Amino acid sequence: MAYAYLFKYIIIGDTGVGKSCLLLQFTDKRFQPVHDLTMGVEFGARMITIDGKQIKLQIWDTAGQESFRSITRSYYRGAAGALLVYDITRRDTFNHLTTWLEDARQHSNSNMVIMLIGNKSDLESRREVKKEEGEAFAREHGLIFMETSAKTASNVEEAFINTAKEIYEKIQEGVFDINNEANGIKIGPQHAATNASHGGNQGGQQAGGGCC
Amino acid sequence: MSAGDAAVMADKDATETPAVTEAASILKDENCEPVEKPENKCQPAVSTRKRPETRPSSDLEASELPAQQETASKDASQTGWGYWGSWGKSLLSSASATVATVGQGISNVIEKAETSLGIPSPTEISAEVKQAAGETSASENGSLLVSGPFGMLSTISTAVQSTGKSVISGGLDALEFIGKKTMDVIAEGDPGFKRTKGLMIRNSTLSQVLREAKDKEEQWPSNEVTMETDKKTHYGLLFDEFQGLSHLEALEMLSRESEIKVKSILSSLSGEELQTTRLELEQLKEAFSLAEFCEEEEEERQGDEDFTKEITELIAQLHVSSRPEKLARARNTAYEWIRTSLAKPVAEKEEGEKQLEAENTEEAQKHSIEDIHAFAIRSLAELTACSIELFHKTAALVLHGQKQEVTALERSQTLSQMTVMLCKDLASLSKEFTTCLTTAGVKEKADVLNPLITAVFLEASNSASYIQDAFQLLLPVLQISLIENKTESPDVSHQPRDL
Repeated sequence: MAYAYLFKYIIIGDTGVGKSCLLLQFTDKRFQPVHDLTMGVEFGARMITIDGKQIKLQIWDTAGQESFRSITRSYYRGAAGALLVYDITRRDTFNHLTTWLEDARQHSNSNMVIMLIGNKSDLESRREVKKEEGEAFAREHGLIFMETSAKTASNVEEAFINTAKEIYEKIQEGVFDINNEANGIKIGPQHAATNASHGGNQGGQQAGGGCC
Repeated sequence: MSAGDAAVMADKDATETPAVTEAASILKDENCEPVEKPENKCQPAVSTRKRPETRPSSDLEASELPAQQETASKDASQTGWGYWGSWGKSLLSSASATVATVGQGISNVIEKAETSLGIPSPTEISAEVKQAAGETSASENGSLLVSGPFGMLSTISTAVQSTGKSVISGGLDALEFIGKKTMDVIAEGDPGFKRTKGLMIRNSTLSQVLREAKDKEEQWPSNEVTMETDKKTHYGLLFDEFQGLSHLEALEMLSRESEIKVKSILSSLSGEELQTTRLELEQLKEAFSLAEFCEEEEEERQGDEDFTKEITELIAQLHVSSRPEKLARARNTAYEWIRTSLAKPVAEKEEGEKQLEAENTEEAQKHSIEDIHAFAIRSLAELTACSIELFHKTAALVLHGQKQEVTALERSQTLSQMTVMLCKDLASLSKEFTTCLTTAGVKEKADVLNPLITAVFLEASNSASYIQDAFQLLLPVLQISLIENKTESPDVSHQPRDL
């Protein structure tokens, strides 16, 4: 229950690439072939362990539809990680990556770790985007890359966890200011209690509404 | 259990003392804020909330209750709980300050108040209530003794949070108000009280405060023993589990962004255009004042179908594709649970007497008071989370700019009705839960039963505050939708525009 850190993730990408399915597979370990369109944003959460530390992932699964774009952008703020998803069987979803990336970079913090995901890897016969293309795009833009299948669960765990590892490393390197919640990272209660540098915890909480 | 509880309580007393003083300091800070005046005008348009009452389910319920219990709840609602009809509004939207002590925090303040401030014993208060209400027969009833005062204390304690100093220092004086129209009176002594009503002007956002409160509570298990029970009955944790916190945070984001847009648009307007827009925005704001909350005495609770029907109708009026199923399901499940829970003791009562005395039947009984308490807190957290999700979705869909067959003002009025309805439903739900508790806990000592009842009322009033605050967050969203709808010519495509 108690966690050392909480990371906020966003999942973005064109409609129908499998964002909600990835989330469901990750949080519930199941696959639901027919899914309602996501309206605005939905949420999921799961605890993972990295380096012996409990980390809570709080995942914001956004709507992919173009018409929701201006709304979903509002949700980008304060994310520590992003899963940028395309569908390997639909070339256009790959072509839109640049737009998504610009959007993400513009509306969230610059340190945000972005994982590029080519989903639906189980549909090899219908593949339109080569794995190498995904890798090249990721390299070019400084992203991590993985092909996943929300259906077979292949690489799904890894995608979420590797992103968290990257964030965790950045924390260790001091890239992220963990005391600034705009970075999408929150120190867990237990951790905070023993963390001297995060003093003022007790006092600060209730004074929240205080100063004018 | 009771010994453990007492120990925990004692500990809390020790650790929570600052809460009282901090509440006072928060108040002080609030007072120095130069803020807008409250909106106290009643909005006539919203008065359509009244509906004909058909209550098959409460009839059914009554027949399942033992006669004594029936009178008990009747008496209670006339006296001790009578003013609950107005609790929602009076428990104000100053939740942001209030929630700093979500959960146990607040109960400690009460404990504190009860023990150290010399507040009269439940019996004394009960007597006062009786006098005030002119009811003579009420106090004979055992369950009133319990329920009456605790209803009050929950009101008081919330007042403690918001009015801080005045209640604490006022001590007993403050209590004497109870039984009349409590909160109105308390509010008189505190300008900040009214001022905060219906407004969310704070540096820290509601979800932030909630999250902090939750985190603080999360630390408890590490120093305390009662880990499992804490988790099961921890409103904040449960609320988060049901994604209430996330939806609230997301709603805040939409709200904040809309607010910025509204401001920037207003600053670009001038002359007559500015005047008319201002006027229209003002009208919207009035629809958000929820002033009508005060007038109405509480209604009987609705049947499940009525609730589902009404919330569905309200949402249909909004012309957004939000769906209330989740909320309705959660709500109906809670009531169903209560029905079975209340039915049980009746059946057990006759042959249960000797059982209860001879052996410890806590395990044998289906729903112990701890079970009921846990389920009550869970239900309140779930319903609140669902309500906030509904508001968040509504905000997203309003911003999404679907066809506007309804005006922003009409939507505001509908949302206002919805808020009132949800809060009232929470109020009656919490009453049902406390009825369950008093029924199941007839044999319990007051110091075991009372804190549980208090906790249910407290979280119910907190729930209502969160819902009202979430409602307030919708104002900028509707304002921007009003402005955009105005500036867009009717036959332009309905795609949302980037600003």
